[in-house]
Amino acid sequence: MRSAHAKFEANGIKLYAVSYDDPKALREFAEAQGITYPLLSDQDSTVIKQYGILNTQVSPDDAFIYGIPYPGVFVCDEDGLVVSKFFHDSYKKRESPEAFIDAALGHIQIEEEVPQTSGGDEGIAITAAVRGGNSSLRQGIIRNLVVRFALKDGLHLYGEPVPTGLTATQVTILGPQDLQSLPTKCPPTTPLYHEIMDINLNVWSDEVTIVVPFYPAGDLATEAVAPATTAASIDFEVRYQACNETECLLPRTERFSIDLPLGVVDIPSL
Amino acid sequence: MERDNLGFDAPAPVDHPVRASLPAGAGTGPAIGERLPDFELPDAFGRQIRFHDDRGNAKAALVFYRSAVW
Repeated sequence: MRSAHAKFEANGIKLYAVSYDDPKALREFAEAQGITYPLLSDQDSTVIKQYGILNTQVSPDDAFIYGIPYPGVFVCDEDGLVVSKFFHDSYKKRESPEAFIDAALGHIQIEEEVPQTSGGDEGIAITAAVRGGNSSLRQGIIRNLVVRFALKDGLHLYGEPVPTGLTATQVTILGPQDLQSLPTKCPPTTPLYHEIMDINLNVWSDEVTIVVPFYPAGDLATEAVAPATTAASIDFEVRYQACNETECLLPRTERFSIDLPLGVVDIPSL
Repeated sequence: MERDNLGFDAPAPVDHPVRASLPAGAGTGPAIGERLPDFELPDAFGRQIRFHDDRGNAKAALVFYRSAVW
């Protein structure tokens, strides 16, 4: 988060972090880490309770850990309205900072320097990239597999649901085994009325970006031992079918692979 | 190190409350579209920060985390 703060500033997004730590501890932390965004001290968990996210499985008898929240992030717009929120069933699962920037801007950036590959055919250009942090694999840290289709004028792709005979666009992570996928995020489709079938099809045209958030668990990025290798490759499959107003191309399946560094962790979190 | 059923390793025992998961169906605060409740808290340098005033007209990410100490 510290290293990403400049990206928040560059995009006009303010960053605040709330914990139950006392201001003195936060000051030491801020100075040691060079953090310049506000670390707010909610020592009696008033705001954590106000927000309804107190970890109630920790009891006051659990001494020093009582008062912690279920960790999570809210992203708000200029009016302070929530546009996106991120909570998970484990404190080990955490978004990369870029996910909050993308949520605030309503647009997913693919920076030039991130690991990426490309594909496509016949008027369809596919760019696939791994976005978030330095794209490294770290236990529970969520990176986004971003697949962007740029379509020639007149072509469209399908979102779910599709009638029998047509193929919906799909991005599937195939491996390695310990890479877990979270639900795919797609932009809303546009209805396209099909006269012969007398139905509305759900389509995307021009450009569409599909995101599959993923994180490593198990042996792949364990914090129990130092990683045996320095990199792993994420393998994934992209399935799609492009059509224009009158005809459809055959459904296509393309396989990709992107090499990602394995993160090194000095101190595992509790 | 103990591994939980999601495949995460951590030094604390699996059943220790510090590793408690967000229960299924539990609330996670303000919903999409709601205005974030305002609050005032001191920062690391003792300044009182009133969230919406300090934010001004900027978009913001508000992070709740467990601790900067442990």
